[in-house]
Amino acid sequence: MSDWGWVAFAYTIVYGVLIGYVASLVVRTRRVRSEAARR
Amino acid sequence: MTKRTVEIGAFGAMIIAFAVGLAVPPDAVQGDLQRIMYVHVPSAWLAYLAFGITMIGSVVYLATGNLRWDRLAGASAEVGVVFTGLALATGLIWGKPVWGVWWTWDARLVLTAAMFFVYLAYLALRRGVDGADRRAKRSAVFGIVAALQIPVVHFSVVWWRGLHQPPTVLRPDNPQIDPPLLFALLMAVFAFTLAYAALVRRRMALATAEDSLTDAPRPDEQVAGAAVSAPQIGGGRR
Repeated sequence: MSDWGWVAFAYTIVYGVLIGYVASLVVRTRRVRSEAARR
Repeated sequence: MTKRTVEIGAFGAMIIAFAVGLAVPPDAVQGDLQRIMYVHVPSAWLAYLAFGITMIGSVVYLATGNLRWDRLAGASAEVGVVFTGLALATGLIWGKPVWGVWWTWDARLVLTAAMFFVYLAYLALRRGVDGADRRAKRSAVFGIVAALQIPVVHFSVVWWRGLHQPPTVLRPDNPQIDPPLLFALLMAVFAFTLAYAALVRRRMALATAEDSLTDAPRPDEQVAGAAVSAPQIGGGRR
């Protein structure tokens, strides 16, 4: 793999994980709040 | 500063850091591969910061008994585990083309991996203990003791010589890095730190919602001390 290939691999992992983590926080918060509203 | 301001600022800073990291000149020795440093070093820095904040939150919780500090400690630990995992992953990706191996038993790598697993255990402890106060006390003690490894991880490259290079910026003498590359690195550190702040605030909001959900009785649950269940309208449950 070329140098830029390794760089792209690393950046994809970092930004992908961060975007996924933000999405999971948003979904979990919405789920918990809707559950609280039902009670 | 509002939650929304921090999030928008973090998002903008991350985009700028991404662009600067790809635009600055390549390193004289490693060429373009060195650009991995602009995501690897900020991730490692945030591991230290996050676990340091966990320790501070734990100490203040034990001093005050305010659960808000426990939530800060827990949120910071979870975000710290994410960034430690990213530091390890980007280290592996950087190590393969430069060192020729994905992994080596270097002191810095081993101690960082150990720190990752210790804080995974911290998160497991938080999930495994019932009762907010009991959970907060036990995890606070864990959070304080676990933080002792942070300086050991950082100075491991000074105390034990291995493949991993010594500190470039956080070192006793002057930083050993050219100004344009230092600017890109500091920009990335700033952006990742803002992202950390935004993530911790979101995680704390989730922890607050989870705690209120745990405290609230279920609709079909008898309140402690009540002698009978509430009458079920329409024939009750089927």
